[in-house]
Amino acid sequence: MLLSAGRHPATGEPCPVPVELQAIALARRIAGASGVVEGLHAGGRDDAVLDVLGHGIDGLTLVGAGAADDPLGALVAVLEGRMPDLILAGRRGRGGADGGLLPYRLARALGWPIVADAISIGLTDGEFTVTQALPRGGRRAATVRRAAVITVHPAAPAALPYVHRARLAGRVNEVAGPALMPAVMPEGAEIRPYRARPKLIGDVGGDVSAEARLQAVSETRDAGGRVLVRPAPDEAAAAILDFVARFRPR
Amino acid sequence: MSAKRRDPRTERAAVVVTEAPRRRIDRMHRGGVIAQDAVVAKAAAAVVTIAEPAYLVFAVVEMAGGMLSRHDRQVLGAARLLDGGGRAAVVLLAPSLPEDAGAAGADRVMMLPERDDPAALAAAVAAVIGAHRPRHVVFAESADGGDLARRVAALRDETLFDAVESLSARQAIRPAAAGRVEWRAAPPHLLSIAADRIAPWRGPAHAAEPVDPPGDPARDVAMAVRLSPLPVEAANVRLDEAGFVIAAGNGVADFAGFLDLARALGATPGASRVVCDAGALPREMQVGASGTVLNADCYVAFGISGAPQHLQGIGTVEHVVAVNTDLHAAMIARADLAVVADAQAVLPALLARLEAEA
Repeated sequence: MLLSAGRHPATGEPCPVPVELQAIALARRIAGASGVVEGLHAGGRDDAVLDVLGHGIDGLTLVGAGAADDPLGALVAVLEGRMPDLILAGRRGRGGADGGLLPYRLARALGWPIVADAISIGLTDGEFTVTQALPRGGRRAATVRRAAVITVHPAAPAALPYVHRARLAGRVNEVAGPALMPAVMPEGAEIRPYRARPKLIGDVGGDVSAEARLQAVSETRDAGGRVLVRPAPDEAAAAILDFVARFRPR
Repeated sequence: MSAKRRDPRTERAAVVVTEAPRRRIDRMHRGGVIAQDAVVAKAAAAVVTIAEPAYLVFAVVEMAGGMLSRHDRQVLGAARLLDGGGRAAVVLLAPSLPEDAGAAGADRVMMLPERDDPAALAAAVAAVIGAHRPRHVVFAESADGGDLARRVAALRDETLFDAVESLSARQAIRPAAAGRVEWRAAPPHLLSIAADRIAPWRGPAHAAEPVDPPGDPARDVAMAVRLSPLPVEAANVRLDEAGFVIAAGNGVADFAGFLDLARALGATPGASRVVCDAGALPREMQVGASGTVLNADCYVAFGISGAPQHLQGIGTVEHVVAVNTDLHAAMIARADLAVVADAQAVLPALLARLEAEA
């Protein structure tokens, strides 16, 4: 289970990433009573990561990597000693680069397949059958061979409750990290406080005035569509079914 | 009631001198200069061809359902922002040839092999990038588009500047650290753009010439992921996630029949505020400013007149069907297909047709 040093989006305080906690709940379900769910974090003793001990992991391994550096090399080195059957991660971190790229790079480095956005995972005949969450509430089944990296989607079942005793009694291994790889941030990049920018709404074409753009989103616009005035119910039904045919699920 | 009703809209329209380029209102009827040159008809736009591009920009799209989605057009718009003022050619990488690729801003279209396996598709894209060496590759930060972008970045051992929210020829901006900071950098090699952030291409149409698809790279069975779609019960889909929504308003009396119709159509049921206030349908189904704001592709309104708050809830819906008895209802004006009829008469007819189909 890959863990990241999460930060709360409002306060910036250390706090576990919710989707990683959901991933732990999935991992516990697969591991059952006999399996071991081990947390793995490239970095120091961060409060956010230590808090995860209370959410159902058996132990935590910290690989000594600086938070701003690329953790891939450290993770690969520590995994080489004891290969797990499954590596789980949240779909995106929250507090660092938040790019969601590390699971893919880890899968590539280990030569393992990767499946994104899981909400449930089953193990049959040495293959993982994963249910993926898609936009629009869609679901899709994905099958990969055993020993895979799977990222978890926020639509997965809820996380296990926090147990403070488990947090205090949790086992933490600290492993010295190897030489680090270059950082993931592009060269010449600059960090600024986030500024919310407006989303595109009201798709009006061309260089139009601010007034026209405001009108497009605030006033009722005439779509200029087909109007059937007092048709027979059956005729209306046929027209509607014809119109909506391509939006209906197949 | 004999006095004629005032129509402020007509009165206002009568005093508007010019609409474009700048609206001018002349309530005193003094006349004055009317900008005539603003009304000159546009010449027929010529198709732009970039024969010898300075460099290439790739736009990788998903084309779910076989056509360019809004997000796909935004990817092409972003690629055009990076074309150095028309010096570079934008190459669209798509699973099929969309007919409006040129209007969306593609100079060339390269068809990717149709693949069920995302690992193999990523290998194909990475191979094309290696062969053609584009200066920028733009992906869509959607579920499958984002997955593909990360697979390609991992294969090529590069970083991905993901979920870009602002893009110009000189800089790209993305949020980081739980949305508390933003990274600004010169447009990188691989980037993915967030939905509804970058405008689609609005300039003249480009040539969209088909080019030879790349050779098939070797398939790695061990890395393979097999995908198969799962059936979804549309009634269980969250209203703000749903793609196809039908809604009942005050013109509907038989709500059981309405829910049957939603099930038969495979649509997610919604309702207007009046219906939810009356308790006929649960509050979670309410569409509008005080209920759920939809992100659907298609919306069918039965017996809804279209209060402004309701229309705000369907602001981004592209295809609207309305069934209402009032020809002058706002919903009828908003609709792409408007049926001026009693919704309660059309509902059973629709159900009967669907039953006959099945």
